[in-house]
Amino acid sequence: VRLSLRDLPGRHVSRGHVIAVWGWLWPRRFLPGPGRARALASRSRVGAMEEEDEEARALLAGGAARDGRDSPAAPRPLPALCDPGRLAHRIVVLLLMCFLGFGGYFCYDNPAALQTQIKRDMRVNTTKFMLLYAWYSWPNVVLCFFGGFLIDRVFGKRWGTIIFSCFVCIGQVVFALGGIFNAFWLMEFGRFVFGIGGESLAVAQNTYAVSWFKGKELNLVFGLQLSMARIGSTVNMNLMGWLYSKMEASLGSAGPTTLGVTLMIGGITCILSLICALVLAYLDQRAERILHKEQGKTGEVIKLTDVKDFSLPLWLIFVICVCYYVAVFPFIGLGKVFFTEKFGFSSQAASAINSIVYVISAPMSPVFGLLVDKTGKNVIWVLCAVVTTLVSHMMLAFTMWNPWIAMCLLGLSYSLLACALWPMVAFVVPEHQLGTAYGFMQSIQNLGLAIISIVAGMILDTRGYLFLEVFFIACVSLSLLSVVLLYLVDRAQGGNLNYSAKQREEMKLSHTE
Amino acid sequence: MCGCGQQCWGWGNCAASPMLLLSLLLSTAPFALRGEDTRQVSLEVIPGWPDTPQNLLHVRAVGTNSTLHYVWGTLGPPAVVLVATNTPHSTLSVNWSHLLSPEPDGGLMVLPKDSIQFSSALIFTRLLEFDSTNVSDTAAKAPGKPYPPYSLAKFSWNNITDSLDPTTLTATFQGHPMNDATRAFVNGSLAFRVQAFSRSSRPAQSPRLLHTADTCQLEVTLVGASPRGNRSLFGLEVATLGRGPDCPLVQEQHSIDDEYAPAVFQLDQLLWGSLPTGFVQWRPVAYSQQQRGRESALPGHASPLHPTLAYSLPQSPIVRAFFGPQNNFCAFNVTFGTSTGPGYWDQHYLSWSMLVGVGSPPADALSPLVLGIMAVALGAPGLILLGGGLFLLLRHKRPLEYESIN
Repeated sequence: VRLSLRDLPGRHVSRGHVIAVWGWLWPRRFLPGPGRARALASRSRVGAMEEEDEEARALLAGGAARDGRDSPAAPRPLPALCDPGRLAHRIVVLLLMCFLGFGGYFCYDNPAALQTQIKRDMRVNTTKFMLLYAWYSWPNVVLCFFGGFLIDRVFGKRWGTIIFSCFVCIGQVVFALGGIFNAFWLMEFGRFVFGIGGESLAVAQNTYAVSWFKGKELNLVFGLQLSMARIGSTVNMNLMGWLYSKMEASLGSAGPTTLGVTLMIGGITCILSLICALVLAYLDQRAERILHKEQGKTGEVIKLTDVKDFSLPLWLIFVICVCYYVAVFPFIGLGKVFFTEKFGFSSQAASAINSIVYVISAPMSPVFGLLVDKTGKNVIWVLCAVVTTLVSHMMLAFTMWNPWIAMCLLGLSYSLLACALWPMVAFVVPEHQLGTAYGFMQSIQNLGLAIISIVAGMILDTRGYLFLEVFFIACVSLSLLSVVLLYLVDRAQGGNLNYSAKQREEMKLSHTE
Repeated sequence: MCGCGQQCWGWGNCAASPMLLLSLLLSTAPFALRGEDTRQVSLEVIPGWPDTPQNLLHVRAVGTNSTLHYVWGTLGPPAVVLVATNTPHSTLSVNWSHLLSPEPDGGLMVLPKDSIQFSSALIFTRLLEFDSTNVSDTAAKAPGKPYPPYSLAKFSWNNITDSLDPTTLTATFQGHPMNDATRAFVNGSLAFRVQAFSRSSRPAQSPRLLHTADTCQLEVTLVGASPRGNRSLFGLEVATLGRGPDCPLVQEQHSIDDEYAPAVFQLDQLLWGSLPTGFVQWRPVAYSQQQRGRESALPGHASPLHPTLAYSLPQSPIVRAFFGPQNNFCAFNVTFGTSTGPGYWDQHYLSWSMLVGVGSPPADALSPLVLGIMAVALGAPGLILLGGGLFLLLRHKRPLEYESIN
């Protein structure tokens, strides 16, 4: 298993892209702690397989387990399902991990799925509606720096997970209560609390994944968690509207109460996640006892002072990242009405097309990860992704063509960008600053999303969708401008950003010699 | 969507070729129907007999080579007669004794008669109300179970002299049922606000229809009337004159541009005849609050025009007076809102705007701001790429040159 995993193509890039794919939503997701991020990225940079193998072997929980079982100290063999060293048990843990995140993914996009209902029942305009997303992002502007640190150093992963799960649950309940009491400020507050928990829970989930699967099925686990995130979002997009209409039928009328009850029912997924967190904590403690596993404490604290040392290419990468993501996610948040009004879609069809970006990104991310890994030339891939996004936004804005084409293009380009952009950070930052760089990147991304969400709502209310699309086009084009500049700067400085995979290999060899 | 309606897809207006055709036709069309940029517009309340309320408004728009006459009146149901003439000197003559008699033919004339290039009329016959409870969101276009409509012929209207404003070129007809048995209109009224324009522009308030000097805007507002159900939807029955056996068409133009009415991508228009003769234009949206925003927008739906027997409609003396007794009438309904969205019940307010005019209907174009942003957004990366590419190319060449010299 280990061999096949090590040979799994696109190993480091797939980790990078995983960071990226969830980057917008759960920025710290695949950076369990700054140190670990550094470790992952440094490996991807140097690519020292032997070192990795050694490290993997050293941390191999399974190996340790087998040793433990073979040693006379082991009291008696456990059934496979209960033996922390066995695959069957790890699969149980994997399931728990996936469902740990499900609640958060499901509830994050509740506002998008119920956009018309929320705006009607709470009597808010789009600007205020988009505050629900902004309030989610605000705490994470700060927490992105500290989430990993809190989990590694302060709470530990078990308590960290439980605490953040509680935040998610409480946040969703407060959000729903805001509906029941017809108080929009309470809903906003709920989203704020939810935001505190949401992103950090993702980090915690990731820490679990690394501690249980490192050196084993880690890529697969990341892949599965990614798919789970997408499934959560997609299920939400397609389920909540239906749930609302059922509630409306049983309560007799639409209104804030119906909305609140619907959201409360949606909150069951968060309770489920909390239960998973508790069970996981128990299982993890038990495994630690049985396997004498050490707590994977790694990492240094992020140093904010590193920011002044960031190079021009890194700043350009930040601009690309922020300008790109703000043109994708606020659009999805506002997209449903666009598809019903402009293209005459039914409510269900609009939900479906609105979630297609998520649906595409789940299977395509590994494929693109592999592609970028095999070819290198990251800047060119980023350029392709940004241009494709620009084209798809222009199709949505200026044509009446079937929007499925444009949205599928958007989904593809989004997946490609994630795979090509995020690993680039590792090429332009010294190893010891990687944690800071990724933390900073996610932080300003959250800041961008928070601000642009509000701006997008305001534009939509006053100027309509065409102008909103033009605004997004301008954002993407700023991103494109930065890519072009990045390419030129990199060429001028003789940087390695756009090396092909082969060139990187050669450079590495010459380096080691 | 709509049985007899045509649909156009594409940029702001119809696709290029019909547009071209239209402009070709336009140049051969009668001179009077060519739009003029500015007109001298005057609003005049035509004095009636002392004991009758003065409810005949004459909008006279004089251009260099043409005059447009819009005669708005509430004798009978609210109605407008629009007449285009090819001389700047045409006049309206009103014979009140004819007009108020049971056979008002000839009571309203535009002189000289041979200068008339085009004439038509709109009559607002009934205010419709539907019960939208038990109508699911996805159900067809039927707005719900209809309540008995209010016949606008049986409304009493205020004296428009008070509301006439010669600076903004507006006047408002405000009315309520003459015998209001259900007392629904105790605190309510239905208002028809007419506005004329001396030049092309766009109002600041949604739905921001582009108007020209050849058009009049009508804003129908229902305020304060008690609805007969919790979820009452309102609508308006509008009748017009049919030319020959067929009714005019209602076109639903789908546009990419919702800049002037956020999230409304459609413009409906009724065209009298295929030549650019006259039109009624509106966006399928009404507003349930005075503060017109997206959150108070009610989607509108227009039924296709269908031929109607004259006696089934409330008669309009001014239409009869101008066009005589033999006429085919066509009617259509516009209804606003859905049971689930915002509605009249929010604030007991409903407002809908339309444009009636002569010539070809004004077409929206992308605003300069949008075009400017697009030019910069697409131009800048291209220029940087070009400039940067050149720079790199030159930088690479220079060492080569030195080498060759050495």
